Amino acid sequence: MSTETQTEDVGQRGIVERLRASPFLSELLSNRLAVAGLTIIFAMVAIALYSRLFVDLGSVTQSQIGTNPNLAPPSWLSKKTAITGEYGTFAYPFGTDIQSRDIFSRVLYGTWLAMKYGTITVGASTLLGVGLGILAAYYGDITDNVIMRTMDVLLAFPSLLLALALVAIFGTGLWKVVIALTLVYTPRFARVVRGAALKVLEDEYIEATEALGAKDPRVIVRHILPNCLAPITVQSTLNFGLAIIDLAALSFLGFGAEAGTPSWGLMLSNGVKNGLLTGDWWWSFFPGLFLAITVLGFNLLGDGMRDALDPRMRETVD
Amino acid sequence: MISKRFVIKRLLLLVPVLFGVATFVFAILHLAPGDPARVIAGQRASEEFVRQVRTELGLNDPIWVQYGRFLLEAVQLEFGNSYQIQKGTPVKQILRYKLPVTLEMALYGQFLGILFGIPVGLLGAIKQDAISDHVTRIGALAGISVPIYWSGPLLILLFAQVLGWFPASGRIASTFDINPITGVITFDTLVRGNFAAFESAAMHLFLPAAVIGIYSMALISRMMRSSMLEVIRQDYMRTARAKGQGSKITILKHGFRNALIPVVTVIGIQFGTLLGGAVLTETVFGIAGIGTLLVSAIQVGDYPVVQGTVLMFAGLFTLVNLLVDVTYSYLDPRIEQ
Amino acid sequence: MATDDNLKRRSFLKAAGGATAAATLAGCTGDGEGDATTTEETTESGGTTEESDETTEESQSSGGTLTFARGNDSGTLDFQNTTSGEDAKVTNQIYDGLIEFEPGETSLKAGLATEWNVEGKTVSLTLREGVKFHNGDEFTAEDYVATYRRFVDEDYKHYPGTKYASAYGPYALGNWISSVSKEGTYEVAIELNKPYAPILKNLAMFCSKVHSLSAIEKYGKDLAKNPVGTGPFKFESWDTGNQRIRLSANDDYWGEEKAKVDELVFTAVGQNSSRAQTLVSGGADIIDGLGAQSSKVVENSDKAELLEMPGINVGYMAFNMSKFEPFRKKKVRQAVNYAINTKAIVNTIFKGIASEASQPIPSSVMGYNENIDPYPQDQEKAQKLLEEAGHGDGFEFELATFKNPRTYNPSPVQAAQTVKSNLKEVGITVNIKQMPFNPFLDYTNNYKHDACFLGWMTDNGDPDNFYYALLHPGVDRSAVPDGQDWINPDNHDNVNTLDAAAWANTDFMKLTEEGQSTYKTSERKPKYQKAAEIFHEECPWVAMDHAKILRGVRENVKGYTVAPIGGPFLNLVSLEQ
Repeated sequence: MSTETQTEDVGQRGIVERLRASPFLSELLSNRLAVAGLTIIFAMVAIALYSRLFVDLGSVTQSQIGTNPNLAPPSWLSKKTAITGEYGTFAYPFGTDIQSRDIFSRVLYGTWLAMKYGTITVGASTLLGVGLGILAAYYGDITDNVIMRTMDVLLAFPSLLLALALVAIFGTGLWKVVIALTLVYTPRFARVVRGAALKVLEDEYIEATEALGAKDPRVIVRHILPNCLAPITVQSTLNFGLAIIDLAALSFLGFGAEAGTPSWGLMLSNGVKNGLLTGDWWWSFFPGLFLAITVLGFNLLGDGMRDALDPRMRETVD
Repeated sequence: MISKRFVIKRLLLLVPVLFGVATFVFAILHLAPGDPARVIAGQRASEEFVRQVRTELGLNDPIWVQYGRFLLEAVQLEFGNSYQIQKGTPVKQILRYKLPVTLEMALYGQFLGILFGIPVGLLGAIKQDAISDHVTRIGALAGISVPIYWSGPLLILLFAQVLGWFPASGRIASTFDINPITGVITFDTLVRGNFAAFESAAMHLFLPAAVIGIYSMALISRMMRSSMLEVIRQDYMRTARAKGQGSKITILKHGFRNALIPVVTVIGIQFGTLLGGAVLTETVFGIAGIGTLLVSAIQVGDYPVVQGTVLMFAGLFTLVNLLVDVTYSYLDPRIEQ
Repeated sequence: MATDDNLKRRSFLKAAGGATAAATLAGCTGDGEGDATTTEETTESGGTTEESDETTEESQSSGGTLTFARGNDSGTLDFQNTTSGEDAKVTNQIYDGLIEFEPGETSLKAGLATEWNVEGKTVSLTLREGVKFHNGDEFTAEDYVATYRRFVDEDYKHYPGTKYASAYGPYALGNWISSVSKEGTYEVAIELNKPYAPILKNLAMFCSKVHSLSAIEKYGKDLAKNPVGTGPFKFESWDTGNQRIRLSANDDYWGEEKAKVDELVFTAVGQNSSRAQTLVSGGADIIDGLGAQSSKVVENSDKAELLEMPGINVGYMAFNMSKFEPFRKKKVRQAVNYAINTKAIVNTIFKGIASEASQPIPSSVMGYNENIDPYPQDQEKAQKLLEEAGHGDGFEFELATFKNPRTYNPSPVQAAQTVKSNLKEVGITVNIKQMPFNPFLDYTNNYKHDACFLGWMTDNGDPDNFYYALLHPGVDRSAVPDGQDWINPDNHDNVNTLDAAAWANTDFMKLTEEGQSTYKTSERKPKYQKAAEIFHEECPWVAMDHAKILRGVRENVKGYTVAPIGGPFLNLVSLEQ
């Protein structure tokens, strides 16, 4: 009896109330690492929005040869580059690249690109995964089998490999990479959500609701979804870091962003291939630094969230 | 004990998955843009020549005939001949020489990861909340946040460029004649008794293995720490402690095996990531393994090579997962239920 | 020896000026291959010059191991199995052709044939006696006939099929030759379908080397891994896992220039900067495939030297007249030529690894017209021309481009963006469509583009290989509708789809046809110079650039001669020490 009232209780209060009532938020906020992660993410979002609004896309995309010094080192180095004999100046705090573009502005704009495409990728795969997972759990039988076996097939590939195989089909470009990665991540969400949804469905109250004549969508929206929200959120957060890494990886390999685009992966690629052994380390260093910090932010937060939630989460999410 | 029934059940479950994987891989050739025949024939070929190539490739056959043929061949690990990268050479043969390159690098990296990851994780668990614990935790998080294509260049910068301790790229100095036996270079050079070549190969291998090792160590130490902590909190450990046995020894004796179970899983799963990561590691360090092979195959449209490589990666991944499951069931027999 | 005017070893090219190398000679270089490791700054490259008189007698047999590092491993060791110049670099060491290119020039010299004579439709060749293949067999006419048949004759029992035999079979030989016959142990006669001036050059191409008959019988398609030639180097081993091909000096080589090193190793170092670093640190003696950035590493080193020269290639933007109506007007095409700042593209985007093009062929090729200059950028003139053509308000078109760098266009996407912004200033909107190279070829071969970037690397260093190959529509002059200088490819058979402009200027066509069937160089030359004038006036393309060839060579390497085509001639190279 007592369990029944308890679950019903949870089912009827919304997620917000539940979060407030649960020790989740307070626990999360008391986790210093998670707070650090959150701070990093906010900072990166701020940088992304700033650069979207104030960085001139043309000047970070097109060649600035003749306008800016070529391959100038970061400003704090008062050293001449071996290659072009340029000195670093404060106008280019991170130096300039082979096309004389300001690396600082490029890295800032790269933040916007990473955040934008990362959000789209994670958002799309979350939606798709949640939909498929709930459908599989709710309808069971053939629906469940078809969906989950398809997910199994997708999960049978190492993720970057699957992304590459999909890129071989779709062709290259940032948007195509986003689609490929969305498909790569979807099964993870579907699995997590299906598992969580099955647990909710096992509870009797759903049966009770159904007996009262509630229709499918209502049951899903009112009862199942709120109960899956926690694992979904954690999975999304952890996946965000991964998405940023993978997006950049595909650009690094030459399948993502088009030449000239200030994407971190592409900057790294050019900097590593052409600048690393020639001593122009700043070319690849800064994009990598921003990338790593951003990903660290998401991992810190995701980790903290996982700790703050039910310990069982550790098994469901990984 | 490993139960036969469990293994068989697990194998049977693989069949539909592998079938789906094969179907997907088959689709790559047919959904990808561009005419495969043109890839073979090149820019200067006349339309007529291209038509002829298409016929020879069997691309004019009904799709289900092609599908059947593909499945039949795939079962025998045949993926046709390369279009472009080594034109006319069976993909199987190409993979035969490229796979050891990748596996060697990955296994050394994995080995480093386990070698350092497990003790570090244990240390963290034993001295929970000590400074060393915090450092390792944050270090581990940072380790998985830094992509290989940044940590690799950083290591190159430091150890190859600035310090000059290790070479920046390749597998072995060009002055050595290897004459491969297995393709695993550190093994081959030793067998041949060429120690100078072995040394060169080992030096070349160090940085890529270290990059993989760092990532793998981060994951393993994290999992080792948390699973060890969980074990420590469990009742029987408290009992053991109450009985007066020294706490650290107890932990190691009783807890280690149980704590290892999830670590094995992580090692397995991580091996898949690592194979995917090989594409990046090889690109950074200029190593001609499966990863760089796949990248160039996609770039030039050498579909049989793409198919073969992807299928092989999926096969390896599946195999590792299977091994993990079996090991898991051995370590924790309850898993079967 | 050679009898005809054309055949004298008259170097119509200046030795150093003449330009492409092994890499370039196979036009399809990296029909992908190059792409694998290329980056924004990459370029495939060919040979480079060093005064050949440095090849003195000082160290006749220096011995040692010569290491040649490049961006990619070979895909095959059979010259009939490839369209890639990367592969040719190795096969050229192992194999000889009947006729060969003079090292450092585009003129011809005797190879396995000592004499030849072209008359009308017959080429008769006298073969060299006493030449031994690496397997010990003696070279005779039978070997050549078998080699030829294996390449193009589908009825031949050793024909390996089109999946294996490259398109160069028909392209360089089969399409022009009706029969090859043995006239004696050391006599071969080649019958042509019609008089075809470039035939001797085609016989000197990398794909026209000679296999041993017994090796053909023994290995079949496995010749790709077991090359048996007559060349200065013998095959030892190929380690694909480490991307290393090992050759050794052939002590029984028939030629005067026996290999001076004991061993020759081809290695692959994927990234340009790593490769440059390998050279500087002594891990390689010669490297190719340098880009703007990595070549600086070589330049700044006191251990190695950067050698560069213009290549025989061209990068351009073609107007598709069959599809996009405004391009049918000469004034519109000229306007676009005036509007685009090709100089800026070449200097700032291709960053000094290419030079500006005024006409399809670079100055090193016979028939180059010195009186033609590239269209300067002149937006006002462009605007005026557009107004005269009735397009004062501009128009919108799609520019198709391949995505990855190629030798003749090291930064296609950035170049396209420059074109876009240049044309925007005269009111023309450009939509860039970028594709991987192979789908791109499909696209342009089917004339789906409004305009496209394309390029070409010479096969044989002959002007016909540019003018006819890229600008002749392939149809009869009579089939071109009156008063029209383009064709609709759908209405014709045998359209030359490499004519991406679908241009069909009958005056121009006549000149190139005559140039193709006239054997005398003195008569051919003015025809191509005239053709260049028509090209410049009618501008079916925006001619963009000729890519340079960059090579890094260590200081102790001597005798590394320019190889504009047919090389690299590594048998001439010795190592000092």
